[in-house]
Amino acid sequence: MAGDALVFTPKPDRPPPVATVGPIGWMRRNLFGSVSDALLTLLGAYCAFWLVAVFLDWGVFNAMWEAENRRACFDAIGTAGACWAGVVEWSKAIIYGLYPAEELWRINAGFLVLIAWVVPLWLQRVQSKVAIGLSAVLIYPFLASYFFLGGEKGLLWSALIALGLFAFVLVLATVATERARGQTIGRFFLAMAGIDPDDEARARRALWLGTGAVYLLCLGAVAMWSLEEVGTRLWGGFFLTVVISGFGIAFSLPAGVLLALGRRSDMVVISSLCTAFIELFRSVPLITILFMFNTMLPLFVPSDVEINQLLRAIVAVCFFSSAYMAETVRGGLQAIPRGQIEAAQSLGLGYWRTTGLIVLPQALKIMIPSIVSVFIGLFKDTTLVSIIGLFDILNIARSVGEDPDWLGMFIEPFFVTALIYFVFCLAMSSYSISLENRLSAGERRS
Amino acid sequence: MPPPCFSGPTGSDAVAIADSEDREREGAMATAAAFFRDERRRSFMLQALTLGLVAFGLWYLTTTTMENLQARSMSAGFGFLDSNAGFSIGFTLIDYKENDSYLRVFWVGVANTMLVAVISIFFATVLGLLVGLARLSQNWLISRLARSYVEILRNTPLLLQIIAWFFCVFNLLPRPKQSLVWGDAFVLNNRGFYMPAPLPEPAFWAVAGTFFAGVGFAIWFSRWAKAKADATGDAPPVFAIGAAAIVLAPLLVFLATGMPLAWEAPVLKGFNYRGGLEVPPSFCALVVALSVYTSCFIAEIVRAGIQSVPRGQHEAAGALNLSHGWKMRRIVLPQAMRVIIPPLISNYLNVTKNSSLAIAVGFPDLVSVWMNTALNQSGRAIPIVAMTMAFYCTVSLTVSVILNWYNARVQIKER
Repeated sequence: MAGDALVFTPKPDRPPPVATVGPIGWMRRNLFGSVSDALLTLLGAYCAFWLVAVFLDWGVFNAMWEAENRRACFDAIGTAGACWAGVVEWSKAIIYGLYPAEELWRINAGFLVLIAWVVPLWLQRVQSKVAIGLSAVLIYPFLASYFFLGGEKGLLWSALIALGLFAFVLVLATVATERARGQTIGRFFLAMAGIDPDDEARARRALWLGTGAVYLLCLGAVAMWSLEEVGTRLWGGFFLTVVISGFGIAFSLPAGVLLALGRRSDMVVISSLCTAFIELFRSVPLITILFMFNTMLPLFVPSDVEINQLLRAIVAVCFFSSAYMAETVRGGLQAIPRGQIEAAQSLGLGYWRTTGLIVLPQALKIMIPSIVSVFIGLFKDTTLVSIIGLFDILNIARSVGEDPDWLGMFIEPFFVTALIYFVFCLAMSSYSISLENRLSAGERRS
Repeated sequence: MPPPCFSGPTGSDAVAIADSEDREREGAMATAAAFFRDERRRSFMLQALTLGLVAFGLWYLTTTTMENLQARSMSAGFGFLDSNAGFSIGFTLIDYKENDSYLRVFWVGVANTMLVAVISIFFATVLGLLVGLARLSQNWLISRLARSYVEILRNTPLLLQIIAWFFCVFNLLPRPKQSLVWGDAFVLNNRGFYMPAPLPEPAFWAVAGTFFAGVGFAIWFSRWAKAKADATGDAPPVFAIGAAAIVLAPLLVFLATGMPLAWEAPVLKGFNYRGGLEVPPSFCALVVALSVYTSCFIAEIVRAGIQSVPRGQHEAAGALNLSHGWKMRRIVLPQAMRVIIPPLISNYLNVTKNSSLAIAVGFPDLVSVWMNTALNQSGRAIPIVAMTMAFYCTVSLTVSVILNWYNARVQIKER
């Protein structure tokens, strides 16, 4: 019939031309868009391929992993391949410096404690992340110092080490209870003791008693704990790099926040003092500050006080990095709209509460990328301590080439050092990018 | 303690009477609290306290330093600046002899630092611009390569790069006999880099004068042309006329005066090349490392600057049918420059500061020759540290004054 002939049967869509979709289309768009583009692509591909091939030949296929000394390497492969044997032999020094072999566990243990301390920051269902993070930055150094340094400890020093141990115990306990029961350690403790947390006076008394008891236990443990002293002259390698940059990071964030607040303060004396400090330390290179502290710090203190060289370097790095951090923080503070401060004031909050509860949390969030880049810069800048004679990883890598067995071998240890720095810096910056994305999720619209 | 307004009379009289004594005491404390609650008074006291602490700290530092100096029989004055330095310096831009004064040593250091900084800034800018543009390229491979360049170089310490260039490249170059030679003029070996030295005859200064006059004319002409273009819409050929004034005019004078410039090429004599301009390997390593390292940051700045121009601006330029070149020159770059220039200049400042790492490879810059050699020779820690700091502070303050002026100038004028 005629009706049947009129029924519309759509033909299926024709597939798009092969050249515009899939890998071929992608390559045409992104690699071979025009003649000059194609030439550039070929040139770039050739260069990249050549670089990778040269590196693999040198570093992997022709490389020697075991040899007595550089001469043996040279006789076997000439300069065609890397002589990793030297780096392998020096690897312990590159990581730990001259730290005595039987005490190396202390460094490892110290860093394991740090890892245990900060891992909860990445765990789900942990509530007191801010407290854990702050304690890791502010209190952990006391515990770590004793791990690394050891030796005699006076009363104050013991109290501080005990504080470190105490905080570590609390962190572990609170992480355990928060993950198991969803309660902080304080709540858990009150529940166990059968005290109603709403009865504030009683709860507070119980908490003070509990923490005091734990602290006394820690103090007792510290008093019985004794480690042999390892002088800072023996510290070196990557360990020293981490110690110096760790101190720099731990000091620079709080100091930078205070300096930035001081610079923005209405009080003329305070703001001009802070400005002078920041501008002075930002306008001179780190190496001059290191030299200055190295030559002038002994003049500034009474002649019977001895300041060791590591401490001078750490002080210099701390001052330098807190000046940079202050400018970073100031940038973040300036980005907070005035209305936020006015709103906080209209709620009756004073200066410290406005700053601590309203301004800083928002400012720190937008500052994360720049804070991390200050940290990365600091981490890279610690290499400068090698110029004033500390044996950080760079100086150790340089000494490999001065060892009679490996005389003149510079490329391989420098390559390893560069690789270590690259991995750590890249990890820090990728983490900051992911953190930034996670924190700004609320502001993004699809 | 509760604020006074909440401690008012309670319901019953008996309580009120019993409370009256308390209230008196509370009142006294409230006055004390009110005294501290006045913000101006509190801030005054806090500032006075800070000032006192700082003054005490400074006083303490000065007195202990004085004592220490006396105990070591050192002096803090600047009197030593006129005395003979008595040590030689490996590379000097300005003339220096062993028996010159310490002050001269300072200026030698300043000149060397500035030389390294200026040359590194030039190469870093060129390289950074290229890498930044490559990073923006539509070509996936090129932009990836540029990105790896940036990531690899800026995530390794500069000092490591300087030392690596020195020990692993410039020190491993062939000996003078097997030097790398380009066109009998440029020579590279493990003793350094040699290039022809210009020997200007007196008439050459006429050429130089014409050049500067040409630059001045070009600046004046471009301003005049811009004013004319703004007023009438008619744009004179600025580029052609400016180029003629800067390049062609000095060239004509140069030819007319009979080419008053000779070149002295380095020649191999005995064990090394002599003549020409010679720079040591430490200088090469420093300049290459600084340029390469800084170029990464400049590349990122260029990329961020160009990407900061909103898409709508590109589209609007397209809607006006501007060609790609015009769009970049007239629409995108002027807006990108506003974002690019401030961080660019602070990176230039960083190059100047980073050139202090010269000491690691033994190039005699300010820190190495002044804060290290001169300090160890003379033992005058305080004046020497103060002068070094003063130099760097001056440079950085000058740059920040220039930056503030620029920022104020290019700020978008809002109505």
